[in-house]
Amino acid sequence: MNAVDTWITIGWLTVATFLTRSSFFLLGNAAKLPPRIQHALRYAPAAAMAAIVVPDLLMNGEVLDLTWANPKLLAAIGATVFFLTTRRLLETIVVGMALFTAIRLML
Amino acid sequence: MNNTQATTSGAGLRDVEKQAYREAFKLAWPTMPGVAAWGMVTGMAMVKSGMTIWQALGMTFTVFAGSAQLASIPLIAANVPIWVVFVTAMVVNLRFVIFSAALAPHFAHLPWYRRVWYGYFNADIMMGLFPRRFPASTIHQTEGKIGFFGGIGYSNWIAWQIGAVAGILLASQIPQSWGIGFAGTLALLGVMIPLIINSAALVGVVVASIVAIAAIGLPYRLGLLLAVILGMAAAMMVETAMEKKKDKT
Repeated sequence: MNAVDTWITIGWLTVATFLTRSSFFLLGNAAKLPPRIQHALRYAPAAAMAAIVVPDLLMNGEVLDLTWANPKLLAAIGATVFFLTTRRLLETIVVGMALFTAIRLML
Repeated sequence: MNNTQATTSGAGLRDVEKQAYREAFKLAWPTMPGVAAWGMVTGMAMVKSGMTIWQALGMTFTVFAGSAQLASIPLIAANVPIWVVFVTAMVVNLRFVIFSAALAPHFAHLPWYRRVWYGYFNADIMMGLFPRRFPASTIHQTEGKIGFFGGIGYSNWIAWQIGAVAGILLASQIPQSWGIGFAGTLALLGVMIPLIINSAALVGVVVASIVAIAAIGLPYRLGLLLAVILGMAAAMMVETAMEKKKDKT
């Protein structure tokens, strides 16, 4: 793309951000969801995060990698155990990255 | 917490919001290195795809959407029509529509321009932290919410931008093999685990994970949206089944 087109694209992508992130905020009282849907939305964040996190841990491109040679999987298991015992998020990220780097360099 | 106390005076209300802001910031700051690392990867990807530094800076400050940016960067480089890039970003961002459906009722009392403003800061970390403090049952109470939302939203935006700018400027210095983006995944993992509040939520997470993996080949990252919807549906089914069982005994 030339420079002008790239800037136009950036403008449209900004519109996409507002249309999605602000969608129901903008609708306000105009869009009241049925209680059952509202209740179901309680489970949306965990599901969304799992859908982002788990493929990153288990997939190598489009191939499932459940072997011990997958440093992300091993590091995430270590980080999960660490988080469940300490409940400390920042330290969990540090421990997970350290494990990931150590395993990656050993393999 | 102290939401039960009736605060009618303006000064008292401001204190409540300030306190909520600080409380939210404390909750959000441990996620900031992970968010920054994720921003950094996005910043590096923009420059490496051939965008100029100014275009990359412009994109990160306005578009502010990691997965949508990562999806659209190769399309921009490939000279795809603008509307295709736009539709791709919309679809990749669809999970935010679900998030906004859950969060927006808390802010329905505000004028539209403030709703749009807060909507812009609606993000993964926000959805992970806000409903834990203000569940759906608190929709009709307004105190502390603006403060809490700001404490997470603004720190999340700033952490993201610090990372993105660093990534844009350092793009050529950091080897891909370091896997910096993994810190973002770890941050989300740590936000996700406390959301598994009951066995229904656990089933939702397992189903969403399986669907996300099975549907990874779908275009526009539609697999992500499918995973969220089916994960939610599975959790609701388990919850209904559990309630029925409870009623029988």
